[in-house]
Amino acid sequence: MAIVAMTRLNKLYDGGGEPAVTDLSLTVTDGEFMVLLGPSGCGKSSVLRMIAGLEPITSGEVAIDGKIVNEVPAKDRDIAMVFQSYALYPHMDVFNNLAFGLRRRGVAKAEIERRVQGAASKLGLLPFLKRKPHALSGGQRQRVALGRAIVREPKVFLFDEPLSNLDAALRVSTRNELIRQQRELGITAIYVTHDQIEAMTMGHRICIMNKGEVIQIGKPLEVYRNPANIFVARFLGNPPMNLIPTSIQAEGGGWQLRVGGASLPADCWPSEALSRLGSQALLGIRPEDLYETASPPGDRRLVAMARAGVIAVEPLGAETLIVLSLEGVAEEVIARAGRETRLRPGDNAAIELDLAAAHLFDPTTGQVVPRIHDEREARWAKAE
Amino acid sequence: MNPLSAAKPFAGKSVAYPRRAPLAAFALIYTIVSGGPFLWVAMMSLRTTPEIFASPYALPSSIHWEKFVDAWTKSNYGTYFWNSTIVVVTAVALLTIIGAMVAHCLARYRFRGNRVVRFIVLSGLILPPQLMILSLFQILLEYRLYNTLTGLIIVYVAGHLAITVYILEGFFAQIPQDLFDAARLDGYSDLEIFWRITLPIGVPALFTTVTLNFIILWNEFLYAVVLLTEDDKRTLPLGIMHFMGNHQLDVGMVATGLMIAIGPVILLYAFFSETMIKGMTAGAVR
Repeated sequence: MAIVAMTRLNKLYDGGGEPAVTDLSLTVTDGEFMVLLGPSGCGKSSVLRMIAGLEPITSGEVAIDGKIVNEVPAKDRDIAMVFQSYALYPHMDVFNNLAFGLRRRGVAKAEIERRVQGAASKLGLLPFLKRKPHALSGGQRQRVALGRAIVREPKVFLFDEPLSNLDAALRVSTRNELIRQQRELGITAIYVTHDQIEAMTMGHRICIMNKGEVIQIGKPLEVYRNPANIFVARFLGNPPMNLIPTSIQAEGGGWQLRVGGASLPADCWPSEALSRLGSQALLGIRPEDLYETASPPGDRRLVAMARAGVIAVEPLGAETLIVLSLEGVAEEVIARAGRETRLRPGDNAAIELDLAAAHLFDPTTGQVVPRIHDEREARWAKAE
Repeated sequence: MNPLSAAKPFAGKSVAYPRRAPLAAFALIYTIVSGGPFLWVAMMSLRTTPEIFASPYALPSSIHWEKFVDAWTKSNYGTYFWNSTIVVVTAVALLTIIGAMVAHCLARYRFRGNRVVRFIVLSGLILPPQLMILSLFQILLEYRLYNTLTGLIIVYVAGHLAITVYILEGFFAQIPQDLFDAARLDGYSDLEIFWRITLPIGVPALFTTVTLNFIILWNEFLYAVVLLTEDDKRTLPLGIMHFMGNHQLDVGMVATGLMIAIGPVILLYAFFSETMIKGMTAGAVR
């Protein structure tokens, strides 16, 4: 178990161009499961490889348990890594794949046997110990890769998109297996993925990255509910958060948001912030915070009504996605409805917007405008 | 059994046979063209020269196995065979080790001058041996390696390094970088990674280069004839020439000598041809 601290980490690959990682500072606490989440090419794998010692650090520091390891070779960092391709040695059977790292470290034969058998038993690999990797299924290979990390009993686990080669069903079961193993062993883990479901379900905390920079760090639901900017709002959630162009108007001593033909109260945001914003903003609201008929829970003062035409209805089984066109708004808006919805394409519907869950973004900077009303947050916090 | 499924094999055969007939005919003609001369030499190797001159294409009336013993004992073929074995086995071993190391470095490491090194090593592919023979002759003379098996081994290694590196690098480059990274995290040094990861995974490609180099060097004549002059240093291809004098030709013994010479090549090919083809066509890691 260990604390991994990165301070002003930068990575610039040979050949110039944009830096892969820019001024990244992040501390992963002892036993924590930290997920680095971001689109392809955002630098998350580079961060992982710098922590592992597989990639030289351009500038900044990586420290493990307070000791700076920038110049420490990969083999001496006491880190185990699970790769996207599993990286199993194809010429060795499962037993030798698991034992390979232990032999190099001079672990006694009996101890190697004990650890390999222990990990194999834990991961259901006992019947496959004499098989070569090519004779294993994808899920079994993945478990061998995990077993190879476990037998080492390292200070830190690094996972580089280890589930992306598995089919959907196997991904769910392996995800749960990974979570269980990490919680049981209590070893600090850093997990790289571009899959938001993995990030939301696995991490104690998520670090969202884009273009080499950290955008937001927080608990999964916290980040989901309170995105720091438009990128996070659109990146997290499927379908992503709706961003509706809004004009801000001062009316009768208060502020109103005009969304197409509808006028919504802007009581959730401080007047100073709204006046600083100017006349235009983007109203961010998640599909589950748009209601068809049933009223949202909580403060009715924060519920606004708008008229919308139904463009398409997408039944997904457990739920139905409704593609809407709000009156006077060019952008399509997606609402998440129950599977019993009676809306059909061409209908005209009254849609309720839960402003307690809505966010306002500065269209110039993309940053969120801090709210003053936090009843809903308080309710969530209480529920948690 | 379902009558429909029972009828399938018959239907399949009747459709496939006409389609395969041209291919079978081609394979038959190719086998006759390539195997015919071999069979002819094999038959001549068991006949005496007067018998061959009397009827060149006849089957052996009596089999003269003693010709192989004579070739081995009286005609110095034992020495030639031993010389060929020393030269070729040493050269192939060195080529395999050095070639694999060079290929591993070129495929795996990005270092300053990487491209220049690759160009220099692989430029050996485009230089014809005839072009280099005089320079090599001069160099070996200066280093007192002329007319020595060591000199010939060095020339063979230098001459075949390019093709060896070319084949191995292509294969090694396909080995995923993750395997090397995993081995580094497992605590292995670069040299250990070469021995424990690259070489075992590269076995199919190594078999390819070993087989190719062995066959080519075992039959190599040009360098050997220029760089070796003493009879007890000669390799097998030169030994065969021994029976081809200016005024007489002992065809029967030449044929026997050829059979002795190609024996190891045929054995090697029989055992490793499949592995060699796999090495040339298969990916590094399945």
